Amino acid sequence: MAENIKFYKDHYDVIIIGCSLAGMSAGMTLAKEGKSVLILERHNLPGGLATSFVRSGHEMEATLHEMMSIGKEEERLPVGKYLDDMKVAIDWLRVPEAFRLYVPTDDIDILIHAGIDSDGVYVAAKEIEEKYPGNLEKVNKLLHLCKEVMESTNYLNDHTASKIELLKNHSGLAKTAGYSAKEVMDAFEIPEKVQAVLSAYWIYVGQPVSSLPFTIFAFLLGDYLTGGSFVAKNFSHGMSVAMAEKCLELGCQIEYRTEVTKILVKDGKAYGVRTAHGEEIHGHYIISGVYPDAVFGHMIEPQSEVPEKAVKLYHGRKIGVTCFSVVLLLDQTPEQLGIKDYSIFSGTSHFDTDAYWAQGSKLGGWDYLTTICLNYANPEQIPEGMTSLSITNLPLPVAFEDVKADDYFAIKRKYGKEMIESISKLLGVNLLDHVVEVEIESPATISHYSGQYLGGIYGYQHSMDDAIAARLETYGKEHYIQNLTWASSATLAGDGMAINIKNGRIAAQVVDTWEKEGK
Amino acid sequence: MKKLKIKGFFKDITGSMRVSKRRNASIKNASPVNDYKDPIKELALELHPVVTHVIVKKVEDVSPTARKFTFVAIDGDKLPPFEAGQYVSLDLEIDGKKAYRPYSISSAPFQARSGEEPFFEITVRNGRPGQGYVSSYIYANLKEGMKLEAHLPYGQFHIEPLRDSKNIVALAGGSGITPFYSMAQEIAHGTLDVDLTILYGSVSHDDIILEKQIQAIHCPRVKFINVISGEGAKLLPGDEKGFISRDIIKKYSVDQDPSNGKTTYFVCGPLPMYLFINKELEALKVPYRRIRMEVFGSTPDVTKNEGYPAGKEKEVYKITVKRGIHEDIIDAKGSETIQNAMERAGIPHETRCRSGACGWCRTKVEKGEFFVPSVGDGRRAADKEYGYVHACATYPLSDMVIKIEIE
Repeated sequence: MAENIKFYKDHYDVIIIGCSLAGMSAGMTLAKEGKSVLILERHNLPGGLATSFVRSGHEMEATLHEMMSIGKEEERLPVGKYLDDMKVAIDWLRVPEAFRLYVPTDDIDILIHAGIDSDGVYVAAKEIEEKYPGNLEKVNKLLHLCKEVMESTNYLNDHTASKIELLKNHSGLAKTAGYSAKEVMDAFEIPEKVQAVLSAYWIYVGQPVSSLPFTIFAFLLGDYLTGGSFVAKNFSHGMSVAMAEKCLELGCQIEYRTEVTKILVKDGKAYGVRTAHGEEIHGHYIISGVYPDAVFGHMIEPQSEVPEKAVKLYHGRKIGVTCFSVVLLLDQTPEQLGIKDYSIFSGTSHFDTDAYWAQGSKLGGWDYLTTICLNYANPEQIPEGMTSLSITNLPLPVAFEDVKADDYFAIKRKYGKEMIESISKLLGVNLLDHVVEVEIESPATISHYSGQYLGGIYGYQHSMDDAIAARLETYGKEHYIQNLTWASSATLAGDGMAINIKNGRIAAQVVDTWEKEGK
Repeated sequence: MKKLKIKGFFKDITGSMRVSKRRNASIKNASPVNDYKDPIKELALELHPVVTHVIVKKVEDVSPTARKFTFVAIDGDKLPPFEAGQYVSLDLEIDGKKAYRPYSISSAPFQARSGEEPFFEITVRNGRPGQGYVSSYIYANLKEGMKLEAHLPYGQFHIEPLRDSKNIVALAGGSGITPFYSMAQEIAHGTLDVDLTILYGSVSHDDIILEKQIQAIHCPRVKFINVISGEGAKLLPGDEKGFISRDIIKKYSVDQDPSNGKTTYFVCGPLPMYLFINKELEALKVPYRRIRMEVFGSTPDVTKNEGYPAGKEKEVYKITVKRGIHEDIIDAKGSETIQNAMERAGIPHETRCRSGACGWCRTKVEKGEFFVPSVGDGRRAADKEYGYVHACATYPLSDMVIKIEIE
């Protein structure tokens, strides 16, 4: 830097790497407690992947933007309540239906709504019963178990429970914690096609139901099918800016386009960061949005401070899915194009989450796609007469590891086109004849904007080898560098925008605990 | 750290024993060798290098008023792939003050990624009085052997096969020809699969940039037509006379029918030309999705914008510029963008597109009134609501307090 100017305080209580949803929720929580907080962000926008972009004056969602854990105004769920309590002003719009699952090979085409009727039966259970008779009771019972798990999980967000209390009051959660979604559905004797319908959301975790812990499956289903999901009126960026504004109001200093390249450690304790501009900034606690793999892999200064067990920890856990999305603005309305639903999960081969998941290790040939038509949730933000549509697959990073820069544009288009054609065929309309704007987001795009390891979006795989119940047991003991904790989808609770707000609060709790212990 | 207690943590329960064992085993058996590698990041950095160090390899006059500059990468850097029509942003230091300027890349993408010495080129016109002082500086001062920092590639002004027709009509004015020269060379090289007709509006043949270079492209898929508007200006065979009007556009469209959706129009040039052609395309009923536009630079005269409160352009305001915990107070003319005011005051603040679209120079307005021209306004809805602006396209209407990034 040419000028000799002081841009930073000599010391901060907390330095947060990444102005993501997790980083901001950690920041606002700690700033509200009176701590001095510095948030450093490599990109020029807040929110990480909770963002939007503008093409020719039209704003478009950059992401799968459905928020769970918000709840209606009168019955807020934990994330919605937290944002209300923090007075973060976000206009929430409720998504009209849960999803449509469309798998022609299996003759599956079903529209599912959220909610419980006055007779105590899930609307979804009735909709499934209509198509697949004889399952009402089983499905309803399973969904109520999911709700119980979701409510227990939410309760335990704000309360601690002893082992006895847990077994007594949260037996649904306790009993199922060691099993996969598939194992529990099998135990309920749910037939295959109904399992398919109940498993449609698997892609929101990116884990096949055979290895997806039931806790996560149940939390997702319990939340989405009970209260429904929400989107922010001003796009995901609107939510991110509202949170950033709150951080500023509470006294956080946010610096954009300031990448942290090193985390400074001495005698096993973090004490500051170094930026790409070359500035050394000191802080008592460091919260990293960068995944542990990259932090331990190359950011700890000096590298001799990286404990072997930290390396084993990041090697022993597997990074989950990344993203390949086609975002389209089309020159006709959804009605004209024959698109009837907000969220369509579709499969062009037999519904099998193991097979779909395996396809994510290769380029292309992706049979399970998520199509979101924003018009149905947020009509006011769509240009008149047009459709805002995204098609997403969540492949594994390995699918992109051998892509060469010179082939990149062609590869992006080839597989983007394959996805557009696949959905066109299902809809019976050639979407390529209607493109006003098209952007294709690949794992490299994710890496470019978020900087995240392997273009990861969901942190570590929520698998039976890294199940949430097991994570909970050891999380506190897995901080191998004192005063360095995490706020990203690689944190305890894992992936999802709403969950990342929770992850940020977990980081704040870790800092508070350390503070009480005098660390 | 064993004492760490977090709300929501529950201790061992029977069912979870099973998963705990599995997790512990994976970690226990994992490699202790710190062999971090991120091939996705390597790819992302090759595609979007943070900065590319370049040197001027060649300077060539391509009209009486324009020069072409050839750059190659140095210091072990490598030029990234780009798409014909994209731009580069150059970091310059003029009289000790930082300036950042975007230029369309006039060379073809394949030239940046092949051959013994991969290169890219920009073509710069000597600025007119009162505007484009950086272009004039580059035109006059950039010499062979000078080193610069470049940022590329940027911009969406490129042919998108998933959207555009294979028949492209380019409507260019002034230095707006440069992206089309890039496209034309890429087509001739066989790596861009479209037919391109360039209609290039100029006052006279003396104003034409890159004329010889474009005419040297011998490719049946590329047509180049000069549209000469100057009163009494000399016309050559094949030229059209007048402005790029609806009749001329029609003549060169597929089936001579611009409304049938078979032609995609790419428009690149100064604001007045953009406004004129926009009207013509509208009259020709060209489908919305068949028009791609790029406007060059910020508006030379802010008062020409719809909605600008007349008189404010004569005022001089005080702007408090916050960077981190530091503050400066600078003067800003009502007639200039807050970005230009900062540049003049020597406060570095990076830009990319400099026409309000890309948002690289996104700035928080804490206090004060301002004006943003509607043409090219790329702000997000929430940014408008919370007072974030793109500094390169924001004019002060009162004293202001703004917060920018630390460079």
